[in-house]
Amino acid sequence: MNTYNPITALLIFFTISVFLYLLFRPNKGWFWLIKANSKSNGKIVVEDILKLLYHNENADKHLNINDIVRTLKNSDDLILESINKMATHELVTIESDMVKLTQSGSDYALRIVRAHRLWEKFLAEKTGFDEVEWHERAERKEHELTKDETDLLASKLGNPQFDPHGDPIPTNTGKIAKIKGNVLSELNVDTIGRIIHIKDKPDIVYKQILAENIHIGSLIRVVEKNASRIVFHSEGESFVLAPIIAGNITVSILEKDVVVEENLARLSILKAGETAKIIGISKEIRGDSRRRLLDLGFVKGADVSIDLLNPLGDPKAFLIKGTSIALRTNQASKILIKKV
Amino acid sequence: MKNKNIEHIISLSNDLRWQIGDEFHDNLAEGIYADAAEIVKDAVHKKDQINKLRIDARIDKIITSKTWGFPLMFLILALVLWLTIIGANYPSSMLAGLLLDTLHPALKGLASTIGMPWWLDGFLIDGVYLAVAWVIAVMLPPMAIFFPLFTLLEDFGYLPRVAFNLDHLFKLSGAHGKQALTMSMGFGCNAAGVVATRIIDSPRERLIAIITNNFSLCNGRWPTQILIATIFIGAVVPTAFSGIASLGAVIGIAILGIFFMFLVSWALSKTVLKGEVSTFNLELPPYRPPRFWKTIYTSLIDRTIIVLWRAIVFAAPAGAVIWLISNVYLGDQSIAAWLIHSLDGFGFLLGLNGVILVAYIVAIPANEIVIPTILMLTVLVTGIDGGAGAGVMFELDSVSATGDVLKAGGWTLLTAVNLMLFSLLHNPCSTTIYTIYKETKSLKWTTVASILPVIMGFVVTFLVAQIWRLLI
Amino acid sequence: MEVKPKSACETCPQFNAEGLKKLGVNTSEFDHVIALAGNPNTGKSTVFNALTGLRQHTGNWPGKTVTRAEGAFEYNKEKYKLVDLPGTYSLLSTSEDEEVARNFILFGKPTVTVIVVDASRLERNLNLVLQILEITDRAVLCLNLMDEAERNHIEIDTRSLARDLGIPVVPTSARYNRGIPELIQTISEVAKGTIVCKPHRIKNIPKNIENAVQKLSEEIKKEYPEIPNSRWIAFRLLEGDAHIIELLRTGEFV
Repeated sequence: MNTYNPITALLIFFTISVFLYLLFRPNKGWFWLIKANSKSNGKIVVEDILKLLYHNENADKHLNINDIVRTLKNSDDLILESINKMATHELVTIESDMVKLTQSGSDYALRIVRAHRLWEKFLAEKTGFDEVEWHERAERKEHELTKDETDLLASKLGNPQFDPHGDPIPTNTGKIAKIKGNVLSELNVDTIGRIIHIKDKPDIVYKQILAENIHIGSLIRVVEKNASRIVFHSEGESFVLAPIIAGNITVSILEKDVVVEENLARLSILKAGETAKIIGISKEIRGDSRRRLLDLGFVKGADVSIDLLNPLGDPKAFLIKGTSIALRTNQASKILIKKV
Repeated sequence: MKNKNIEHIISLSNDLRWQIGDEFHDNLAEGIYADAAEIVKDAVHKKDQINKLRIDARIDKIITSKTWGFPLMFLILALVLWLTIIGANYPSSMLAGLLLDTLHPALKGLASTIGMPWWLDGFLIDGVYLAVAWVIAVMLPPMAIFFPLFTLLEDFGYLPRVAFNLDHLFKLSGAHGKQALTMSMGFGCNAAGVVATRIIDSPRERLIAIITNNFSLCNGRWPTQILIATIFIGAVVPTAFSGIASLGAVIGIAILGIFFMFLVSWALSKTVLKGEVSTFNLELPPYRPPRFWKTIYTSLIDRTIIVLWRAIVFAAPAGAVIWLISNVYLGDQSIAAWLIHSLDGFGFLLGLNGVILVAYIVAIPANEIVIPTILMLTVLVTGIDGGAGAGVMFELDSVSATGDVLKAGGWTLLTAVNLMLFSLLHNPCSTTIYTIYKETKSLKWTTVASILPVIMGFVVTFLVAQIWRLLI
Repeated sequence: MEVKPKSACETCPQFNAEGLKKLGVNTSEFDHVIALAGNPNTGKSTVFNALTGLRQHTGNWPGKTVTRAEGAFEYNKEKYKLVDLPGTYSLLSTSEDEEVARNFILFGKPTVTVIVVDASRLERNLNLVLQILEITDRAVLCLNLMDEAERNHIEIDTRSLARDLGIPVVPTSARYNRGIPELIQTISEVAKGTIVCKPHRIKNIPKNIENAVQKLSEEIKKEYPEIPNSRWIAFRLLEGDAHIIELLRTGEFV
């Protein structure tokens, strides 16, 4: 104990703490980085190239080697090497710099897309991860799932047709549903439709749309359209978007005779003493939370009023079908009502 | 043939599911409720439109009011804890008198009459029996008071309102309002608190409640806190204030525990538990007068006896181990002495000592036997007078005599403060660990719940010790 | 459909008080299995205790009975094993409680399922009742907490309720042991087949779903003509319940 000195002890302690922090901090910790890097780089690059080609060919665009090198973040050598490897395995054909998918390459790509979209569906339905994290997590997971695991995942999820962004999930035989819809920025005023797809790329635009609380499945009505902005109503709120952002949202147009409830409000604004009818639950609530709310009686047509206010303001207890159920504001704001 | 048809049914169902789209569950739920509404319209007649009994509404208004809600809650919690701690004193000392002071010597006498070899007698009576007796004497009375009181409040319907009132605070740290109840239950017993987390139906919030329950100071730890605070904290202030000062210190530790509970809940919900599903809803059931005797009977059977039984099962081997390490010699010193000497350096860094660390290692099964073990080990290594021999746990009747033994063992105010902190922040007892495993069925979360608090205990006591030595 | 008159006497003509023996946890041999289902907070455990003479404590909370509790009673020389299922609001979701309850009613093959409901919150409770009636043919509705309903000035026409649901309805106040003899008598009659149920089937479903259910259920009936709940299986298949698909493949539920 001769060398003991509280200051030395503290210094050693803080050095170790800082080191551990650098090693294990979320996402950027060295430990995670090394772990991510050690995982077969080659396979990931090949699969990323396949996906890139697949998405572009779907949009009738063909890429040359340069395009690929520019788009992907990996080192140029690695990409070139991968493309050559893919050519020898007959996943792609190279004709004067243009890279094209072969049938087996296209099948492979479809499998990756299937894994990606199923994993996003899984994250949305069965986990508590935030919406903004889904894409990135699926980008990593798609390379890890084997074909059998993907099929098992699909059957566990009930073979869903669409992922949470509204993108169709290919079946294990490669069937893929078509999205029939129009881009929001091209709809006329007074068109009524349902949002069926939100593009998750580019990331900045996608995050902005999420921040606006716009969600797949919501009914919308366009009220204003000009070169600088698109205004539409949905679920009792008014949204203003720049056309370039609205271009990332696809809407399926509904028949005119669909009754779109106007004067919608959110349950969170209900005041003590008022009664309202429930119109529905926003599509933003999914998975178990949604089912639980439905089971508790928050269904279309049910009468709801405030039973108890909280000394801290949140949550509030609502009287629904004879029972007092407390909901937090963030849930109540996703339940659509019409005051009576 | 059969298989082909079944595959046909399954693929047909897949096709149909595709056609229907994702509205199926919503439509079905709405359809069922629509049927229910039709049936009810025929069969149920309500004479008036009052949705709730006047008296229920009035109780609710007061219990959840801005002015009365919180004071009422703290008052009830304080009353329950006070009744538990004060009320348990008398039966506890009676049980101790019976099991430790009367039955123990009698058993020893019996053993020597029938000529039992000293090691068997020591192992069974001084080791196993004494640990079990200690746990019963310290644990049974407070639990037998605390759990029925709690159950009465629960059956009446008050506890859901507490969860309702406090939910916002818990939401800020990513937890569920019902955690307020499992936390309070933890003041009685952490194992029971962990079982009580079943009321939280959201997976993420339930795990948070399980992992952080240990930050509620349980019945097994209150006596340690009170004893050490009385001896050391009470002594640094003028005698007139010593009662208040030591009480304040104990309450401070309990509040610190609540603070750590919030902090850890928040950190868990932001990191390792981020991916667990999180849902929230809370039913506020109507008030129902509890049936007093039935409630007391069932809560004794369901909670107290089960938890006590588990504690005994774990305490018995601990008693055996304590006796063995103090009586088995490696070379010229017992295993206990050897352990204590090798842990002294680390203990010093934490502002504790080897005795305390060894006591916490061997007393994992039950916090109740930490103090008797510390006393026994202190006497063992210092060689001062007192106690009943190697491996025989004991407690002293007078607080000051206990203080003298501890001070002879080299204890200072820092040791006392850090022991109080470490008593709050260390691994849950093995009963609780086992219960966590049974509830989560996950080795991973059990490990997290066991290791996390002890690491925090090391860090906190270490920092306190270094800063203390720098400043004083 | 016969509805028992409301009375609290143990001497009424149908009930044979001497024939009743509460057997507690002794469930070793039995002639009938009775499942006890219901929403949380409906006094389900009180009914369970009243029938078996046990003293299970389950609090004022959903999800307290996480594992199934079992008990037994003997009535007119026949032994009944009683299984207390977790209290749930529904059987359509994925929580552990609901899975336990759903699987027991579907695969545990209880002779009779007793559904305990809170008389003053009937509409909400019917959600679960209607789902259970899709699964099983033999059920008894135990209209519990009648005392509270009376205090709330709620009158329930048990005759019309029984007619609409197609199962016998017994009003009880299990706390005060009211209606328990009638409940036992009714359970035994349904178990022996003296009372035949014609359970209500969910009607208010959109056309496209109804058609899909119809189609599927016919296919299932072709394969397993003897099962009573092909419609429920169809619901679960449309929901994508992997467990049901698995069992359909192995044919285990027949």
